[in-house]
Order: sequence, then C-alpha cells, then structure tokens
Amino acid sequence: MRMSVSQDFAAGLLLLAFGVAGLWIGADYPMGTAQRPGTGVLPMILSWCLVGTGVLLWIKTAIAGSARLTPWAWRPAILITLATVAFALLVDRLGLLVAMLVSMTFAALGTPETRWREYIPFALLMLALGVGLFIYALGMPITALPAGYPWK
Amino acid sequence: MRRREFLALAGAAVAAPVIPKASAQVQNWPDKPVKLILPYAPGGGTDLIGRPWAEKLGQSFHQQFIIENRGGAGGMIGTEAASKAAPDGYTFLLTPNATLSVLPNLRKTPYDPKSFLAVARVGDFVTGFSLHPAVGPKTFQEMIAYAKANPGKLSYGSAGLGTATHLRIEMLKYRAGIDILHVPYRGSADALNDHLPNTVQMMNEINTIPHVKAGKLLLLNINNPARHPDFPDVPTLSECGYPNSDVPIWYALYAPAGTPKAIVAKLNAKIVELADSDEMRERMRSINTVVPTQTPEEMVAYLEADTARNVELIKATDMKLE
Amino acid sequence: MEIAGLLANLGLGFSVAVSLQNLLWCLAGAVIGTAIGVLPGVGPVATMALLLPVTYVLPAEGALIMLAGIYYGAQYGGSTTAILVNLPGESSSVVTTLDGYQMARQGRAGPALAIAALGSFFAGCVATVAIALAAPPLTRLAQQFTPPDYFSLMTLGLVFAIVLARGSVLKAFGMVFLGMLLGLIGTDVNTGNLRYTFGISDLFDGIGFVPLAMGVFGIAEIIANLTNPERADLVSSKVSGLLPTREDMQRSIAPILRGTVLGGLLGILPGGGAILASFSAYTLEKKFSRTPEKFGTGMIEGVAAPESANNAAAQTSFIPMLTLGIPSNAVMAMMIGGMMIHGIVPGPQVMEQRPGLFWGMIVSMWFGNLMLIVLNLPLIGIWVRLLLVPYRLLAIAILFFCCIGVYSLNNSANEVLMIAVFGLFGYLLMKLDFEPAPLLLGFLLGPMMEVYMRRTMLLSRGDPWVFIQRPLSLCFLVLAALLLAFIVLPNVRKAREAAFQE
Repeated sequence: MRMSVSQDFAAGLLLLAFGVAGLWIGADYPMGTAQRPGTGVLPMILSWCLVGTGVLLWIKTAIAGSARLTPWAWRPAILITLATVAFALLVDRLGLLVAMLVSMTFAALGTPETRWREYIPFALLMLALGVGLFIYALGMPITALPAGYPWK
Repeated sequence: MRRREFLALAGAAVAAPVIPKASAQVQNWPDKPVKLILPYAPGGGTDLIGRPWAEKLGQSFHQQFIIENRGGAGGMIGTEAASKAAPDGYTFLLTPNATLSVLPNLRKTPYDPKSFLAVARVGDFVTGFSLHPAVGPKTFQEMIAYAKANPGKLSYGSAGLGTATHLRIEMLKYRAGIDILHVPYRGSADALNDHLPNTVQMMNEINTIPHVKAGKLLLLNINNPARHPDFPDVPTLSECGYPNSDVPIWYALYAPAGTPKAIVAKLNAKIVELADSDEMRERMRSINTVVPTQTPEEMVAYLEADTARNVELIKATDMKLE
Repeated sequence: MEIAGLLANLGLGFSVAVSLQNLLWCLAGAVIGTAIGVLPGVGPVATMALLLPVTYVLPAEGALIMLAGIYYGAQYGGSTTAILVNLPGESSSVVTTLDGYQMARQGRAGPALAIAALGSFFAGCVATVAIALAAPPLTRLAQQFTPPDYFSLMTLGLVFAIVLARGSVLKAFGMVFLGMLLGLIGTDVNTGNLRYTFGISDLFDGIGFVPLAMGVFGIAEIIANLTNPERADLVSSKVSGLLPTREDMQRSIAPILRGTVLGGLLGILPGGGAILASFSAYTLEKKFSRTPEKFGTGMIEGVAAPESANNAAAQTSFIPMLTLGIPSNAVMAMMIGGMMIHGIVPGPQVMEQRPGLFWGMIVSMWFGNLMLIVLNLPLIGIWVRLLLVPYRLLAIAILFFCCIGVYSLNNSANEVLMIAVFGLFGYLLMKLDFEPAPLLLGFLLGPMMEVYMRRTMLLSRGDPWVFIQRPLSLCFLVLAALLLAFIVLPNVRKAREAAFQE
C-alpha cells in the first residue's frame, strides 16, 4: 500500500478518531452532580482533550509540514500477531507444547532471516525451557499436553 | 488411589446394599487438595479469616486446603466461579455475606445466591463505629446528638459501595434519623488512611481497633450481639437503643449446588469442632473475630433474615450503587 | 530519637536478622524476587500470593523477611528486561526503557545494568536508614496529604509524563490523554457503570497493565526490529564492556542522590506515591541536565535516577504498613496478609509489641539489598551474553516469554490476545512517531486521578475551590502549571516563527 500521507496528519487523525469515539460511545454516561461527579465526566473531558490535541496537530502540520509515513511492514506485523493469537487460542485447548510450537513457528516465519536448521534445535530448547521453568519449577497450572492424552 | 476407590465402591455395593452410595465418597473425602475460592484480592479481610481456617482444616483432614483468590467486580467474579464449579466437594466458596445478601439486591449478579449450599459459619467481625477524637463527641449518644445538630457535617468512610460497612451507616442514618455523608473507598485500608488524619470522621471496620487501642481513635459501640472482650465498657448497638440494626459482617463457607450433603455435613462438623477449640478462638480473637456455630439449616435461615433486613433497608433508603 | 535507643534497636534488629535462618530466608526471597522481576508478566504480588501458604510453617520474622525480599528483589529484576529488550515488567520500570534500552542498543547494556543495580543498592541502603531513623515523623508527614493534595500531585505527575517525552510535546499530550482514557475502560467502581467495554466481559475490570505494556513496548519493538534488520542488529550488537566507565560513575552520582530522595519521599505516601517515583526522578534529571534533548538516546542519568527512585520508594512504602498498618499497594497488602497469618495485627502497636520483628525486618532489608547487588552484578555478564544471540532467535524467545508470562498472570488466554492487539497498536504508534511511555503513565495515573477528584468533590460537598485552598495542593498545581509553561511556550514560539516564515 503506498502511503504518501503526512505522518503528523495521520497522527492527528488517530487522536481525533479516539476522541470522537470516546465522545460518541460515552454520550450516555451519566454526568452526576458537582458533589458526585458521574461516570461520564472524565471520559468527556479526556475525549475533548484528544479532539483538541488532534486538531492542533493538524494545524501544526498545515503550518510546518511533516515527514511522510514510511512503508508498513506487513509480513512481520501480521505473523507476529498471528503467533501471539495462536498461542492464546491454543494454550487452553491443546496445551502448552502445541501452543508454543505453533506460535514460535509463526514468529519464525515472520522473521526474514530465519534459518530452519538453526530454528529446530532452538525451538526444542525453548519448549524444554518453557515446560521446565513454568510448569515444573514455578508450578503454574498450565497443561503441557493436549487434554485426553494417556500420559498425564 | 483409583483402585482403592473402586474396591471401596464395589465392596459397599456388594456387601451392604442399604448403605447409601455416597458414604464411600464421604469416608475418603477429602482425598485430594480442596480449593477454597475467596472472591477478593489477596491481603483483604477475607484472607484474614480464610487463611487460618485453610491451615487448620488442612491439618485436621491431612489434605491441603488451598486458598484461591479470585477478586474483581466487588466479589462477583469469584462467587460466579464458585457457583459454576464442579459440585464434587473439592471446591468451596469462602465469602462475606456481602456477595450473597447485599450485592444481589443492588444489581444483577451472574449467580443465584440461593443456589449455594450452606456449609458453616467461619467468623463474624466484631467492631463498631469509630470516631476521630478531634470531632468532639466522646460517646455514641453524644455522636448522635452532634449529628442531629449538624446534619451532613460528619462523614463516614466505608470499604466500598454495597459492602456491609456501607450498609451499616445507612442503617444508622435510617434508624436514628440523622444525616451523615457516606464516602466510599477502595477497601478498608484506603478508608483508614483518610480516617486517621480526620479527613473522614467515622468508620466501622476492624482495622481501626489497633488504633483505638493506641488512643488515636474512639470506639463508640459494637455492631454485634455481645460486647468486644477487649472493650468491656463499649456498649453494643442494641444497648444504645437500636436493636436489630447491626448489619453483621459474617463470613461463611458455601458449596456449589449439587455437592453431596454428606460432605457438607462432614465439613460442618469439623468446622464447628475447630471453632470451639481454644487455639482457634484465640487466633480469631486476635483478628477481632468470633465464630458463632450453626447447622447448615440454621445458616439458611440466618442468610434469609439478613437478606430480608438488607432488602428493607435498601428500599427504605432508596440506596443505589451510585 | 536518642542515639542510645536507636543503637539498641538496631542491635536488636541485627540479632534477629543475622540468624542463619533469617539470612537464608532473605536470600531465598531475593533470588525468587529477582527471577520474578526478570520474567515478564509474573509479578511480586502473584508470587507472594503463591508463597503465602509456605510462610505458615516459618516463624513470623522469617516469613516477612522472605516476602520483603521478593518485593525489592523484583524491583532489581524488573529493570533488567526493561534495559535489555524494552520490556517493562512493572510500572516502575517503564521509564527505565527510555534510556536503558537505548544504551543496550549502543552496546552499553552492561554499564546500564550495573548503574541500575548500584543506584538501587544505594537507594535501598539510604531508605533503610530513613526508615530506622525517621519512620514516625515520615508517617506524620504522609498523613498531611488529603485527597486534593493527591490529585494535584498526580496532575504534576502527568505533566512530568509529558515533559519526559523526547519528541513532539503535542504528541506527548495526545498519548497522555489517550492513556488516561484507556485506563478508564472497565467498571466505574463508584457506580458500577461500565465504560467502553462493548460487552466484553474480560474488559469489565479494565485493561491490565501487563498486557498493555508487553504489547505496546515489547511486541511493537519486535515487529519494528523484524522489519528493519539494521535496527535489529543494534540489539544484538557486540557488547563494549561490562563495567561502567569512570565517566558513567561520575555522571550518575547526583542523579542517584536526587532519585533516592525523591523516591524515598514519594514512597511514604500510602495513596500511590510510589508510582510517581521513577518518572518524576527521570523528569527531574532531564530538567537539571545541561543536555535535556539527549534524554531518550542513552543517557546514563536516565537510568540512574529512576532506578534509585523506584528502589527508594519500594523500601519507604513499608513505612505506612509498619507504623500504621496501612498498605500502600497490593504488595504491602500481601505483607499484611503474611503478618496476619502469624497472628500479628498490623498497626501502631507492632513497633512496641514486636520490636524484634520490626527492627529485624528493617535490618534485613539492608542485608537483602546487599545480597541483591552481590547476586545481580555477576549476572550482568550472563544477561549481556544473551543479547549476543542472533535477533531472529531472540525475538522468538522474547515473544514466547511475553505470552506465557501474561498467560500465567491470571490463566487467561484473553489477556494474551490483548497483547496481540496492543502489539499492533504499538506498532501503529511507532509509525506515527508517538512515544509509548506517556501512554502508559497516563494509563496508570488517569483512574487514580479520577478517584481523588471524586473523593475531593464529595468531601468538599461540591466545592471545587478546595484544590487551591489546600496549600500542598496549590503548590503542586502551581508547579505543574509552571512546568507546563516551560515546555509549551517555546513550542508555541517555534510554531509562530514557522508560520511567519510561510
């Protein structure tokens, strides 16, 4: 995706977006009284501050210009995210070992310089470390293996 | 372990058909660690009572009784978890009455307080209204007079909205017809921090007791049926002219619905026995607690009476979580 | 306090602390604490909760000494990951990442870790002495703080959070506001109303600090490093020496002293002063420095000051607990739990009724700090060697430790999902040249400020002028305004100049 958008413009947009969202979602929060400020008071103040800051950032960009956005690195971003998500989804259902394996593999895929011959023993080391440290040494209640296996 | 159970069951089934199936389970119970869910973060009042009990029960049954703190949402998260736990007699809920007789009347809770099986009472806090000496009044009656003469001037710190200590001040205001500002804090320690320098004038928690003994605060009364052994001159709330207004803070053990009655009875018996022991009494006394003993049936009635009182108070004062 | 009495008390303390048993427990606590501090996710509170049952069988002194060791041990360990891989394990190490990680990328992880350890040791010793000498008067000082004073102090803290940012002040403001808003997500304790939760029950108690920090700092950093191999090389660059140079030591002396005093004072406030310690010290250093613009690029002062401050605050936060029985934070609440298990009711009478326990604990804190420095300095060699692992493998390891660390906090896979979300968000922030530190600081301070604001208004019966009427509060607000003016005005001038040039 070609990004020839000004960096600060996008930054201001982010702040504005959050501010507006804050105001819109929080519109119904009760404000309470002076003695008992309600749920909505601080969200409203902060949302307005965000909007204000976003606008000021835009003004500054208009006056002083800003750098362009550098291209995004999709592959590492997506794969690292996938790795984390995979761990989250798998660890409860299939146990730590499977989750670690899948997650680390995704991460390795996301790393541009992965050497597979190097990766495999490393992964095994990490698996051993993970199980050894967290389950045995620290006694965390994490299942190592997929449920239903005859051992454990 | 499995073989033993199997043989015991087989033996029971073959040898004596009249023996109820549950007895084999009960005899071996507990044969693995028991979990006590405390629906609050570690270090709070529930821990105070829960941990000595966990230790003692563990010693008596020769099995570990593990405390699991599951705090959050004012006690709802842990209580919900306990309500959904397997009713095999290895998970119990150790909770103050707040989660069962107060909260459900103030908001929709993800559990039904009536679904729990009462096991045993494990302790009642013994404390009363404390007043900072700089305010002026020295006795309970003087405080009431002061409050009547200065409506809204006194402030009271509670451990939070919807806690028993919140209800205590509302009850007092209701019965005595006085106006005191209620300031909710995040726990009794937070409130004590403001109480000591007189930012907030009154409290009703057990963490004030050491400071009363040190002369920094005044104890006006006791919100319990009997006086505090360390303070023989401090009257109970009933003696001050307000019967049935205590709003007790009581802790009890509950089991998820479906837990075998025999296990409940066994645990109740042991707790009653321990509560009577000198050691437990001393330990509880050091944390300003007494342990009244009741049967599970009596507990159910007690909870119902407590709930009814709270409902009446909430309705009468139009109390909301806000 | 007369010297004779003090010496007698210290003597008592020594006799308690120096028993072989208690020294062993101290060591155990320190080791466990360091390990916990290094592992991202698992923190001292969770560990203490796990170990609380173990302390049943110990005598009271041993139990408390060990628990205390875990706590300040974790402070030492927490800065390690912050410096090495930009992962702040605790809120107190967020600021250490700013210059510490940069130093690591310049091959100076060794000196950074060493100065952090030395500064922490010094602060710990001084704080221990302060507790021994002045616990009661310090407590009285802390009791002067009322809700409006806390609110204004935190406002000052927010201004500090903006000042410490290296880049655009406007963007720092944005991050602070956004952080505060994120901190409000969840249940509003006062009313039970839910804010910004979209019906997701995991958000009912708000976003956890650990997933947020791991994601925005750790994961985002990994993504950035993976996209940019030269960047990654810096992390795994060769290490130029383990020991701090003479210049490092000289430059660190004043920051360590200042940090210790500031952190020590903030730590005694039971209402949350300790959180402010590290970044207040950082900002102070930046203001005192002749080259403030270099902060954030690897200035040793930026490591020395916050590390000393947070260790001093960690020690002095024992004071309200020891003298009044009031816990300043969750860790102290655990300590109180530990005391109560042994039948000791916390409060003003502990000093008189159990002097052996009180003074024994204080003296053992000093021993604990000593053990920690002896433990940590040699470890620096090992940590630094870890950095030599090629980044393509190191990243995987970091990712894994983040995931499992967060998962093990509450056995919640959903929190791991949150890291993923915040990781992407953090990468977005990096791309837009926002800094994550003010975000996290706003996140920490926002909810607390709301609590104090509401409490103030409730107690003042709706009168907002009380913020200016209380002298302490007024003082903090004025300082905040002045500091704000110092940063904002030059920027306004620059903008005007730029506009004129158009």
